[in-house]
Amino acid sequence: MERTIIHINIADFAASVEQVVDSSLRGRPLIIAPSVPRAVVYDMSDEAYRQGIRKGMPLNRACRRCRDAVQLIPRSGLYARAMAALQKEMLPYSPVIEQAEGDGHFFVDISGSRKLLGLSPDVAWRIRKQVTGNLGLRPIWTVAPNKLVAKVASRVVKPQGEYIVADGDEAAFLKPLPVTILPGLLPREKEQLREFQLHRAGQVADLSLAQLRAAFGSRASLIRATAKGEDQQPVAAGEVQPRLEESRLFAEDSNDKRQVEAVLVSLVEALSSRLRRRRQRTRRAGICLEYSDGRRCWRQATCKEPVDDEGDLLVLARLAFVRAWIRRVRLRSLTLVFDLLTLAIRQHSLLSQPGQEKRRSLQAALDQIREQHGAAGIRRGSALPG
Amino acid sequence: MSHNHIHIGTSGFSYTEWIEAGFYPKGTKSAEMLGLYASIFGTAELNYTWYQMVRTEAMERMLARVPGDFLFAAKLTRTMTHEQDADWRRQTALYRQGIQPLVQGGKLAAVLVQLPPNFDRTAGNRAYLGALLDELAGLPLAVEFRHASWARDSVFRELEKRRITLVTVDEPDLPGLFPGLDVVTNPDLTYIRLHGRNQAGWRTGNMQKKFDYDYSPRELEDWLARYGKTLLEKPKQSLVFFNNHVRAQAPANASLFRKILAGNEK
Repeated sequence: MERTIIHINIADFAASVEQVVDSSLRGRPLIIAPSVPRAVVYDMSDEAYRQGIRKGMPLNRACRRCRDAVQLIPRSGLYARAMAALQKEMLPYSPVIEQAEGDGHFFVDISGSRKLLGLSPDVAWRIRKQVTGNLGLRPIWTVAPNKLVAKVASRVVKPQGEYIVADGDEAAFLKPLPVTILPGLLPREKEQLREFQLHRAGQVADLSLAQLRAAFGSRASLIRATAKGEDQQPVAAGEVQPRLEESRLFAEDSNDKRQVEAVLVSLVEALSSRLRRRRQRTRRAGICLEYSDGRRCWRQATCKEPVDDEGDLLVLARLAFVRAWIRRVRLRSLTLVFDLLTLAIRQHSLLSQPGQEKRRSLQAALDQIREQHGAAGIRRGSALPG
Repeated sequence: MSHNHIHIGTSGFSYTEWIEAGFYPKGTKSAEMLGLYASIFGTAELNYTWYQMVRTEAMERMLARVPGDFLFAAKLTRTMTHEQDADWRRQTALYRQGIQPLVQGGKLAAVLVQLPPNFDRTAGNRAYLGALLDELAGLPLAVEFRHASWARDSVFRELEKRRITLVTVDEPDLPGLFPGLDVVTNPDLTYIRLHGRNQAGWRTGNMQKKFDYDYSPRELEDWLARYGKTLLEKPKQSLVFFNNHVRAQAPANASLFRKILAGNEK
C-alpha cells in the first residue's frame, strides 16, 4: 500500500513557543540559552537567525553579533507542554504520530485514513490551520511517501511553507538538491562526498553500490538509499521514548584525558543513581560530545541484557565515549543519555551467584549514602580529577 | 461544427481512490498518474497548487510527463485567496516565478482564481480583488466567485474590460451560492467547472461527501442544451472540468460529456 506521511515542523521551536507565550517578543531577535558560564545558544528566533545567530554558538559571541536580542533561559517544561498540545491537534487525523526529535517535529502517518479524510494535502493543510488557530504556531507541512523525503522537503521550504512529493517522485525530487541537506549522513561522509565533487543527491544516487562501497564501506547502501529517497522506517507511534540525560559543561575547554574521564564517571554516577531510584534498567548509553569549534559528535553503545549496576553502566558509557571522541579538538561539554529503559524486575537465580549479590549489596549501600549525604557523599576515585 | 477548441478534463488527477475505482491500474504510483491521465484527457486542472505554492522544479517534472499539446489550468495558491497573507504581493511574485515553466512551454491555459464562499462584495474585498488581478496581469486569468453578491453586471463589465474569464459553475441549487450563468466576459476563453449536485453533502465540510455525485447522461445533455452554444461554441477556447472526484465519477462523467459532445458534432 502506498504510504502517506505528513511532516509537521515548527521551525525554531523553543523561540516560536516563547513568542506565542509573550506576544511582545514577536518580530524581535530572541536568543534562548542557559544561564551558565560559557553557555551556548540553545535556540533562536528567525529574526536572530537572519542576523547570523546559530544553535550551538557561544552565547557571548551571539550577544556581540546581535546586540538588540532578547535573551531567555530554556523552559523545557513549557516546550514539553507545547509538544503535547500539538500532538492533541493531530490526533483526530491519525493515531500514528511520532514526535521525531521533541523539538517541534512530528510525523503523522495517514496511509490508513485517506479514504475517510480525503486528499492528503488537504489533511496537512487542515492540521496547520488548526495549529495556527488554536495554538498560534505556524508550522511547515510537507506530504511525502516516507519520513526521509518528508523531512528533506521541510528543510527545502524552511522557515515557512509547504511541499508535496508524490509517491514515485522521491528520487526526482532529491536529484537537484545538495547532499548536505540529506539527513543521516555523518560529517566525515559529507566531507568525503565534497572531496569527490559529488555535490548533488542525484550524483550520489547515480553511482553503483560497488562504487560507493569503495569509499564508504558498509555505509554505502544506506547512503545510496538516502540519496534516492528510499526509506522504509515506520512512523513510531506512541509516547516519546523515556530517557535519562545529564550534561556537564567544562569550566574551560579541555582534552585532558583524566579530567574528561572524571566528568564521564561523575555523569555515570549521577545517572545510574537516578536509574535505580526509578527502578529501571537500560540497554543503551549515548554520548554527545561538543567540541570547542561547535561541532558535535553523537555515538551510542548497546548491550543485550538491560543493566543498572554502576560498573556495568560505566563500561557501556565508556564504549560509547571511545566511539565519540575521534578528534583532537578540545571538548566544551559532555552529555550522557540512557534510553531503551525497562523496569528492573529481579528474579532469584536457581544457582547461587555470590559475586553478583555482593555487588548488588555494595551498590545499595552506595545509593543509600548518596541519598543521605548527596552525590559527593561517596565517589569513585576516577571521578576525582587530578 | 468542430469541437477541437473545447478541452475536457478533471479537477485534479492524483487520487489513490481512482485506483480502487478502476480508472488507474492496480499498483499505480501517484507520480505515474499524470502520464496515464494524459493518455485519456488533453487537459487537467491542478488542484494541488491551491495547497502548495508553485515551484519551477515541480512544474518541470510534470511537463516531462505529458504530450506536447496537453494544457494545464492551475489554481491560485490559498495564500492569495482564502488566507490573504500580509505578504500576498510577494506571494504573487513567487507564483509568477513558479508557473514560468508552463507559461514558457505554452501549456498554461488558465490560472484559476477561486475565491472563498465568505468573500462577498464589500468595498475592502473589491479593492483587494482589483489589486490582486493587477498583480497577476498578463497571466490568463479566470475568476470563480462563490458568493452570490458578485453576480452583477458591473462586475462582469469590469472583467470584460480586463479580458478576464468569469468561471461558470454547475453545483447544487442552494441559497447563497453564485448562480450558474452563461455570461462570457472573455471571448478568448470560457471556463466551466462541474462540481456535482450533491445537496446533502455540500455543506458538510467533508470533501468526500461534497463532491460525491454522478451526473446522468440526461443532466449533461440538458446542461449542453442550455449553455453549450454560448459557453462552448462561440469562444476561441473552452475548458471544462469535472470536480466530482469521489469514486472516480469525474473522469467517467468527463468521458461521457466528451461522447455526448462528439455525438452532437455529427
